[in-house]
Amino acid sequence: MPTDAPAAAPRREDPVLKSARREALIVFATWIVALAYTITYCARYGYGRTGDDLRYVFGFPDWVFWGIVVPWGVCVVFSWFFASVLMTDEDLGEDPPGTEANPTALADQQIQESGEC
Amino acid sequence: MLIAAQPAWGTLTALVLFILASMWIGVLANRATRAGSFMKGFFLGNRGLGSWALALTATVQSGGTFMGYPSLVYTHGWAVVLWIAAYMVVPITGFGILGKRLAQISRRCGAITMPDLFRERFASPGLGLLVSLFILFYMSFMMVAQFKAGALVMKIAWVGSDSWSEDQRIGRYRVTQSGLSGLAAAGVPTNVIEAISPLKDKLFATEPQFADAVHAELAKLKPAPGPDQADAWVHQLANASELTDWPYITGLLIFTISVVGYTLIGGFLAAVWTDLFQSVMMWVGVVLFLILALRGVALLQEREVANGAPPRVAQMNTLEFANRRAIEKTSSDFAFGPGYDGRHQGRSFLPLGLAFSFFWIWVFAGLGSPAGIVRIMACRSTVNIRRSIYLLGLYNAFIYIPLAMISICGRALIPDLPVGKTDDVIPMLAMKVTSALPFGEFVSGLILAAPFGAVMATVSSYLVVIASGLVRDVYQRFVRPFATSRELEILSYGVMTTIGVIAVVTNLRPVDYLQAIVVFSGTGAAATFCIPMLMLVFWRRATVPGMVAALLSGAGTMLGLYYLGGVLGWGTSLIGEATKFRPYFLLGLDPLLWSLAVSLAAGVVVSLLTRTCDEALLSKYFDAEPAETVLPTAAVAAEVPA
Repeated sequence: MPTDAPAAAPRREDPVLKSARREALIVFATWIVALAYTITYCARYGYGRTGDDLRYVFGFPDWVFWGIVVPWGVCVVFSWFFASVLMTDEDLGEDPPGTEANPTALADQQIQESGEC
Repeated sequence: MLIAAQPAWGTLTALVLFILASMWIGVLANRATRAGSFMKGFFLGNRGLGSWALALTATVQSGGTFMGYPSLVYTHGWAVVLWIAAYMVVPITGFGILGKRLAQISRRCGAITMPDLFRERFASPGLGLLVSLFILFYMSFMMVAQFKAGALVMKIAWVGSDSWSEDQRIGRYRVTQSGLSGLAAAGVPTNVIEAISPLKDKLFATEPQFADAVHAELAKLKPAPGPDQADAWVHQLANASELTDWPYITGLLIFTISVVGYTLIGGFLAAVWTDLFQSVMMWVGVVLFLILALRGVALLQEREVANGAPPRVAQMNTLEFANRRAIEKTSSDFAFGPGYDGRHQGRSFLPLGLAFSFFWIWVFAGLGSPAGIVRIMACRSTVNIRRSIYLLGLYNAFIYIPLAMISICGRALIPDLPVGKTDDVIPMLAMKVTSALPFGEFVSGLILAAPFGAVMATVSSYLVVIASGLVRDVYQRFVRPFATSRELEILSYGVMTTIGVIAVVTNLRPVDYLQAIVVFSGTGAAATFCIPMLMLVFWRRATVPGMVAALLSGAGTMLGLYYLGGVLGWGTSLIGEATKFRPYFLLGLDPLLWSLAVSLAAGVVVSLLTRTCDEALLSKYFDAEPAETVLPTAAVAAEVPA
């Protein structure tokens, strides 16, 4: 049985969540475009051919060069652009005190428990 | 024969250097982990991973990169580059989708392991335990396979071997009287036993040699047995005739002691730093190798021109010349999809459905890898995540495309490796192209040390994940929540040593289908964890029952399709790699795609049908200013009611 979330005061979404979601959407789109281009191009020019019409570009079979090597290069350049320009830096925060991941408070607790000075 | 029965000194020296370097790295890592608590230091490196460490170690790379992939290019040709092409986006998807939020949430809840994340984000110890069990299941599979690969490489360097091949059954064979009597007792006809008795007391170094000899004797029978019946008898006889393979066991022990040793000393950081070290070595090895392989082909080209080849051969690009040679030795299928079929069985290595599937597989296997997720949790800041994206982008481009070019040169220079021996292409080519160089054997040893390092680093990172799963997620969470740091430390060392012992024992009679097991566990982990991870970091409305549904249905679909294909024999066995451990490719697509779809549907529907998580808990992870309320935590076992 579905139940609605309890009514809450207007809340502001975490800025890291906002930017991470925006960036994740860009990345998903990049993946879809790369997939669509590479698979379509290679399906069209890399399958069902005989050797007679094979051409080479810098030593690669033509379909490998235009369908894989070139988009690979584009992806590397786009990765740089994405990471340097589109993706923002955020404060990731600290581990909560008193947990194993933030030992300052935990160490005090363990010293008290074990009776060590 | 690749390496005669004498130590390969160049490879051996390089491997010893590798082991010493790894031990040294372990000691350095040990010092670095002493800064904080044992758990955070040993299992998470105090969240201090920089850009290079994150970029070159957090995604899927193993011995397979340097051994399996070139062997596939050699066997099937350029279609394999399409098979791996998704690596063009793996850096951006691997860090750009989950990275930032994962690093943030793991800090906000103080998570040290991946199950910690699930447990705290949903305040559900049960969910954390379920995730731990899945991780232990998949990682154990992967690790067993990796130990075998590491032991094989060590064996080859240590005492020489007939083959580098990972897929071969290890061990030497001798037909004995007791073996023959055993067959008779098992109901094998007398004339068959008489037919193979001339082989009595002969020694065979590898299973293929043994099988060929037995098949030759069986072929003399009138009437000759059918191929399936003959295979069954050969298999039965092989099991009865296998001798203890001491070189392999020695290799296994040396490998295990080294890798468990340095991981024990330095924990997570040792695993990461050795991984970084091997990644850099692999890059150096590939660049050096590419230059040498192209030079080898260029020399061949010059010889052909000198022997009166047409003038256009002289003007040809070296790689194009290698291609043409490779096609001459195979067929034009070598240059196109779905790939060359060396066995002429009608096998289609990469039909379009699978090409499409692999664009998903590599991306989601990277996203859902527990070892990779922990490394993102351990990164220092978003600056490191950003830099890792383009560093890895460049690295992948300079590894995978050159390795394909090297393998094509391999087909041109060593054209006739038999099917089943193609894993030898890299070591054979390395020896061939370095033979004329000063210290050539050592140079080839350096090149070949890369796959060994890759296997060591992979095992090391799995060891850390498995040990943290048992110590942190099971013992500390459910058995002794107030265990002291010293107790956990001793337990961690004990667990790692025990895993080493178990790995040695299970690998004394090594598993078959090595590569298939690696693929199964990698895609299985992706099918299980990808959708739940996305729900965990991005979807406020996700609930505990929804997460459980997504986890179980993803894993269940994957296992179900493997059961249909591998056990019940549904569908064709003539697509993809040749193996008996295969899934059912429903509509020609890999099981991962179906598993992701089912996992997503189940996760969303069940979440929407069940009560939302506590608002204060959600606020902690999704709002800029978390609500000022006492939060439920997993520590007080506040399971959210369904």
